Amino acid sequence: MHRLKPCRCTMNPVDVQSLSKTFETKEGPILRKRRRSLTAVDSISFSVPKGEIFALLGPNGAGKTTTVKMLCTLITPSSGDAIVNGYSVVKEQQKVRESLGVMLTGERTLYWKLTGHENLQYFAALYHLQPSDSKEHIEQLLKLVGLVEREDTLVENYSTGMRIRLSFAKALLNEAPVLLFDEPTASLDPQSAHLIRDLIRDLKREGRSIILTTHNMDEAEVLSDRVAIIDHGKIVQLGTPTELKQRVKTSEVIEIEARNLSKQAVDAVQALSGVSKVAFSNTDREKPVLRIHAEKGEEILPRILELLVREKTAITNVSVIEPTLEDVFIEETGRSLRD
Amino acid sequence: MRKISGIRSIVEVLSAICIKTLRYYVRYPGGFLLYLVMPFLFTLLIFGMGGFVGGSEATTYFTARTGTSNVLIYEILGSSVWMTSWVVVEDVGVSLRNEQMTGTLEQNFLAPVNRFTFLLGLSLADIIITAGIFFIVVGLTIWIMIPTAFLGLLQAYLVLLLGLIPLFGIGFLFAGFVVRFKEPYTFVQIVNLLFAVLTGTYYPVTVLPYWAQFVSRILPQTYVISDMRQIILANEKLVNLYGGVFVLLTLALAYPIVGYAVFKHLEKRASITGDFSKY
Repeated sequence: MHRLKPCRCTMNPVDVQSLSKTFETKEGPILRKRRRSLTAVDSISFSVPKGEIFALLGPNGAGKTTTVKMLCTLITPSSGDAIVNGYSVVKEQQKVRESLGVMLTGERTLYWKLTGHENLQYFAALYHLQPSDSKEHIEQLLKLVGLVEREDTLVENYSTGMRIRLSFAKALLNEAPVLLFDEPTASLDPQSAHLIRDLIRDLKREGRSIILTTHNMDEAEVLSDRVAIIDHGKIVQLGTPTELKQRVKTSEVIEIEARNLSKQAVDAVQALSGVSKVAFSNTDREKPVLRIHAEKGEEILPRILELLVREKTAITNVSVIEPTLEDVFIEETGRSLRD
Repeated sequence: MRKISGIRSIVEVLSAICIKTLRYYVRYPGGFLLYLVMPFLFTLLIFGMGGFVGGSEATTYFTARTGTSNVLIYEILGSSVWMTSWVVVEDVGVSLRNEQMTGTLEQNFLAPVNRFTFLLGLSLADIIITAGIFFIVVGLTIWIMIPTAFLGLLQAYLVLLLGLIPLFGIGFLFAGFVVRFKEPYTFVQIVNLLFAVLTGTYYPVTVLPYWAQFVSRILPQTYVISDMRQIILANEKLVNLYGGVFVLLTLALAYPIVGYAVFKHLEKRASITGDFSKY
């Protein structure tokens, strides 16, 4: 795709060392405001070698975006440090920025009153690209994300998918050795998400080190070499997707889609002997999902179904499946990723 | 991909920010119209109030206090400098606020661009816009009213350009407030209205109480307005106004240094509190 700029460092391109961030907030009515500390990231450490896709997986508010923002120097860490391409995010911010390509969440990261081409042209100047080279480079990037025919259209007239693809292209402008993608496929249609995932794989093949955040476990599983599961600002598990799934103690996972699922019914299932963990996800209100970790799934399944029927639960689908990264999260926190 | 560095990279960044800002102005043209008509509307307001207070003797009183009977040029000069100062002081901060609200501020701050260069880029776009507005409003009015003073306009322009530098310093200061505290409009507008009161926009500063005259002496607009009136209305040469020019040069050095220092301090605080992305 593109020539890779040589990595300055001899160690890992990203080396995060006990990075923490605590925000001080004031809460309460005007005259009785109280200071409150909120630890968004709590002493996390990890490294990303050259050519690896590293995913930070966790629910909303877990600390993924704060971690990314500390890595790209937008937020100053409360303690700890991270070395990006050999430079400290605390002491050498300008050098870190030169070493990074960043795509932050959302479509409002572009100038809507500029065209797609004008946006890339503007940011190319901010990244000090040689003007004579950047013209051709911008054309290549627009072609890569399938926007070359709409390059002269104002971004306000783009679809959400087109804006996110343009944002992705912007992150590749400076051919950085380290790339940070914050929820790169959130709110994308399946086709665009597929395109972005393919492009991320291509970038890995070029030897770039990629950190992506996601709350989509399937994405983390299919795309990443290693995954750090993050919750309440802490890394609770870290490893390859296969390693992590092997750590789920139970061999089987029962997934039940049901309506009228009461808390009483969930508690009753949790109390059954042989059931180790139960997580209830109600994100899709049409199809709430109960995920049950059991030692011997097939043996315990009839008892679970009997209990749910007794609790007047309308069961629409039952399956016994292999553990996924979601189950790793459930095992560790007792909650579903989608909660 | 080759990269550029040094002065060339700074020039490229400045021109990119400038072009982007101008494109936005062109694609939202309402602001231009406002800046063009405001000096005339405020001048009309002063005319009306002068007539109401002074009656048939209004022009006589005016001449006695200002030394000129050309009320229109006197007031248009004041109005135009005020409008120019308004744009410069408000625009850097408001541009940042708009970028913050649309999510593009973080994108700019992710790039390896010195913050001073970034603020300077926003200010340069304002120079082009305000100089254009000034040329249209004041240039055309003078060309019609006192064709002989048209050459003096170039000297007046120089005073204006010099006066813009300290104003950018005030703009940087507001930009810092915006990044850290958000909601710039109320504060900036109050300060801009105070500038009109204190800098001799519509009347000589000598009519102000002594304490207010003292404040007016540390504001660059006071010298810009006074010197421009001297050049256009009293046919004075710029070289003879060295006192005001010297003060403007001093303010041009001090204000940007103070403004940028405050901006850097508040920007650092914002990076600790995570305020760049908060609305």
